[in-house]
Amino acid sequence: MAEINLDKIYASFLLALEESHDSESLSDLQKEYLGKNSVISEERKNISNLSDLDKKKFGKTIKDISEKINRDIENKKIAIKRDTYENKENSENVDISIDWLENTGTKEHVISSVMSEVAQIFSSIGYTVAHGPEAETSWHNFDALNTPVWHPARYESDTLYIDKKLDNLLRTQTSTVQVRHMQENKPPIYIVSPGRVYRSDQLDSTHSPVFHQIEGLAVDDAITFTDLKGTLEFFVKEFFGSNVKTKFIPHFFPFTEPSAEVLVSWKDGDWLEILGCGMVDPNVFENVGFKKGTQGFAFGVGVERLAMLRHNIDHIKNFYDNDLRFLRQF
Amino acid sequence: MIILKSWLNDWINISNIDDNKISEALESLGFEIESTNNIEPNYKNIVVGKVVDIYPHNNADKLRITQVDVGSNTYEIVCGAWNFDVGAIVPVALPKSHIVDNFLIEKREIRGVVSNGMICSARELGLWDEHEGILLLEDSLAPGTDFSTTYDSQDTSWEIGITPNRGDCMSHLGVARELSNYFDIKISENDFKLKSKIANVLKTNSGKIAECNSYVSIEIENFNITDSPFFIRYRLSQVGTRIINNVVDLTNYVLYDIGQPLHAFDRDKIFGTVSVRKAKDNEKILTLDNQKRSLNKDDLVITDNDIPIALAGVMGGLDTEVTKNTHNLLIESAYFDKVSIMNTSRKLNLISDASIRFERGIDFNLQLKAINRFINIFSTNQDINYSSPIVDDKKNIKNKSVSFSNNDIYKILGTKIDNKFITKTLKNLDIDHSITNDDIKFVSPSWRYDLERPIDIIEEIAKHYGFNNFDSTLPIGNNRNNLGDYWNSKTFFSQQLRGKDYQEIQSLSFVDEISNQRFNPEKKYVEVYNPIDSTNKYLRSNLFSSLLNIYHSNLEKNSVSSKYFEINTVFDKGKHEKYENIPNQLYTLGVLTPSRVTNVDLRCEDKTFDIYYVKNLISTLIGEFNVKYLQKPGFHKRLSFLILKDEKQVGFFGQLSYELMDDLNLEDPIYLMELNIESIDSTFKETNNFIPLAQYPFIKFDLSFTVPIDFIASDLISFVATKLDKNENNIDIFDDYVTEKSRNLGIRISTRNYDQTYSEEEARGILDMLVNEIQDKFKIKLNKSQ
Repeated sequence: MAEINLDKIYASFLLALEESHDSESLSDLQKEYLGKNSVISEERKNISNLSDLDKKKFGKTIKDISEKINRDIENKKIAIKRDTYENKENSENVDISIDWLENTGTKEHVISSVMSEVAQIFSSIGYTVAHGPEAETSWHNFDALNTPVWHPARYESDTLYIDKKLDNLLRTQTSTVQVRHMQENKPPIYIVSPGRVYRSDQLDSTHSPVFHQIEGLAVDDAITFTDLKGTLEFFVKEFFGSNVKTKFIPHFFPFTEPSAEVLVSWKDGDWLEILGCGMVDPNVFENVGFKKGTQGFAFGVGVERLAMLRHNIDHIKNFYDNDLRFLRQF
Repeated sequence: MIILKSWLNDWINISNIDDNKISEALESLGFEIESTNNIEPNYKNIVVGKVVDIYPHNNADKLRITQVDVGSNTYEIVCGAWNFDVGAIVPVALPKSHIVDNFLIEKREIRGVVSNGMICSARELGLWDEHEGILLLEDSLAPGTDFSTTYDSQDTSWEIGITPNRGDCMSHLGVARELSNYFDIKISENDFKLKSKIANVLKTNSGKIAECNSYVSIEIENFNITDSPFFIRYRLSQVGTRIINNVVDLTNYVLYDIGQPLHAFDRDKIFGTVSVRKAKDNEKILTLDNQKRSLNKDDLVITDNDIPIALAGVMGGLDTEVTKNTHNLLIESAYFDKVSIMNTSRKLNLISDASIRFERGIDFNLQLKAINRFINIFSTNQDINYSSPIVDDKKNIKNKSVSFSNNDIYKILGTKIDNKFITKTLKNLDIDHSITNDDIKFVSPSWRYDLERPIDIIEEIAKHYGFNNFDSTLPIGNNRNNLGDYWNSKTFFSQQLRGKDYQEIQSLSFVDEISNQRFNPEKKYVEVYNPIDSTNKYLRSNLFSSLLNIYHSNLEKNSVSSKYFEINTVFDKGKHEKYENIPNQLYTLGVLTPSRVTNVDLRCEDKTFDIYYVKNLISTLIGEFNVKYLQKPGFHKRLSFLILKDEKQVGFFGQLSYELMDDLNLEDPIYLMELNIESIDSTFKETNNFIPLAQYPFIKFDLSFTVPIDFIASDLISFVATKLDKNENNIDIFDDYVTEKSRNLGIRISTRNYDQTYSEEEARGILDMLVNEIQDKFKIKLNKSQ
């Protein structure tokens, strides 16, 4: 009889629970069914009238049902809370395709980032960065580098001078830094010198009166031509990726011998010239006072050219216009 | 330079070698291939014909009717050209054949007469640019022969770059010599011998100057100015030379063939002894291009009884020019000094095929051979009479014998190269040599000026060995992963600024005078002596002008106000701090901060910045520093400060003057900052001692004082700090209210004791102490709170 009563109570509880949709009504429900004057309390009062065996049995039933009601209410509370927040979240929509904060933070100018990248690559194999003046003596730019007095590079049509006697100029190559560095240091030398160079060129799609180069120099015991090859192959793979092909073809520079140009091809495309290099000419070592038999190699690469090749930039002017639309692309 | 396969084949038998193999060879030998061109006939089905009859066209005065024998048949063809007679051998386009540009020839009625095709000019066959008459072919060709089989109509040409040290390769013979070793094929010999029939009329000599080492001449009589042979015109046109007449074409031909520039004079316009001397200052000559050239003593002239008749090695004179009426020739083959020819040709801006070759150095034993070659070809095609050559060779140029240790080759190249290979290479290159396991001894041939030192021969061996056949090894330097202070500081500044949304720029170093004067009127600017653009002939003395330009142009172009920085060099004429003889140049960081920055997040207002932001930015970049007020040109009268680090001046910041803002059309105030990067120890790392964290609650006072306008707030802060130096403190200015008459300064002091919680009474005691001390010290008054 009592059990039947309890079953009814639970059934009615479930009905009431179904109707409760907020925490307030759930508290009320808890009071109604488990509180001091609730039907369950009433039933509990009846226990004393029962036999010991029934007491135990009925007591357990009441306990079970109380716990069940409690658990149901707690579960319902959690469900309601979850529903509430779920609804709240469902109502908070964004269109994530909008870039409100597009382009925050800035990047280096692409010239700087290419220079940094090249410097990093060489730093990983033991080169440090050297730097020196941009307005230089003709001696450091030409004579020391074994450029004969009649060489066309010295013409006013090629080089920008800053005095009438043509003793001072704006460096046409960052090899001047190598000369300064060798005058101040003894081998072993492993340096790269990134920086600005100047030529008497009108600004057009591939020329600029100001551009950037990175030159490198290694002078050490028994540095050989195979070392030069290995070093530049390493650089090319690091910079362009490992699937790039490299070839060396003979060339001529006054300051190196043998001299070569390095051509690369990636994705089986055309062969493109990317850098000039060679074994440092003995005359250069003599000019900086190194002992006879000193060996080393040097190389130079145009920064704008690397950037243009890698990013398909069509006009060198872009680098110096500094239009934000350009700057933000890199 | 353009080279032709069929022409190379005269010197080295490469007709069976695949073009790609030849390209590969050229490239590996150091000839940069600019383009490769497969030459194909520009026509179809052209046959050789013989004109057997000619008669007038009744309806057209300018046309003639010809009967042309084409082997299988004879056709009537109408022709507008008059440069041939009966018996002429000509190229004929019969109906259904194609001439240049795929133009189809059909049977066609011309003024009432049916023409069975067309007799063609060189231009109509796409051969060369000549259209004044039809192309006359050699008499020996049989009518009916397929025209395309009568010469090398299928050919290949390469346009190659020749490095300045290899003047000897500026001819087909020169390139053939290089290929000879690559393919191991011998160079053909040419053993033509002169058979002189006439005596010399003129005397010639090389003069008394070292700049003309040898002068060889020959006289030719009994010849006609005419078209040169077909193969010469074909080859010259393929290498890009204009066809002129047999004499001029042939001098050009010898130049492209073996590399010796020749010059032809009309002998009858020369009256005395031909010699060479330096020009006199202001001496004049009328050159072939009808220009009066003013010379000086650096130029070389060929003279006739001391009167200049040609600009040696550069251009002939008009007075002795070979013309249609020339009957007798004097051909000159000389060796002129490189530097002298270079100076003259650059100075007069006269760069010719001849001058380029002299500049780079021609074979000093080639002069007589070139005369031989010229006569050889000329006499094969025309019956001419010529004198014996006059040779005046000073023999001043000799190549020295050089020897070096065989082991040096391995020492420099890093790959062991077999002696056999070395011997074979030197032999094929005509380099006199002897080789043992210990030593190599060599003398370079007369055409090589680039082989003077052991390293030159080592390069030669490496080149012929093939650069791509060498091993690759990777030496590791002594400074692994250390970019050095210079690069590290640049990187550090750049990273800090980019983290704060500053955009890096790279602007040109050249500016106009005003850009320097605005900010550095006290400096002397470095000026380019030969500027590209005379307006912007100065090197910039500051980065401000460039930054402002870029700021302004982006504001105009893109309507974006943004923050910028640039790291580059500024110049002035002061002394360089490290090196002698060069102008002062400082590696500088320039930073531009606008007071209003366009917010990229368009939902938000623009961001605003002020001078305090810039000051804070500087401390991010260089750590603790001091400022000193200093009025600078171009800047706001009051907001203009030196940056001092360890008492050394390292930079400057301030607000752009309102006047300049107005001049530059800027609406929002701009803050500018410049730091001399090299004067800052980039390794700055200030190690602060840890301040322990007090565990007790803080007490806080907000105090407001009436202070003089020029009161220095930081003095107040440090004073309070000394008064509370046993505590953990936070002392900040929270308000600075300035009117014309007064200034109120609010200071917020929060302080904690390390040992106890302050009672209300103790707190009151501290407050009173502070107020009294401050009022006493600074003679300022606490504002009573309302």
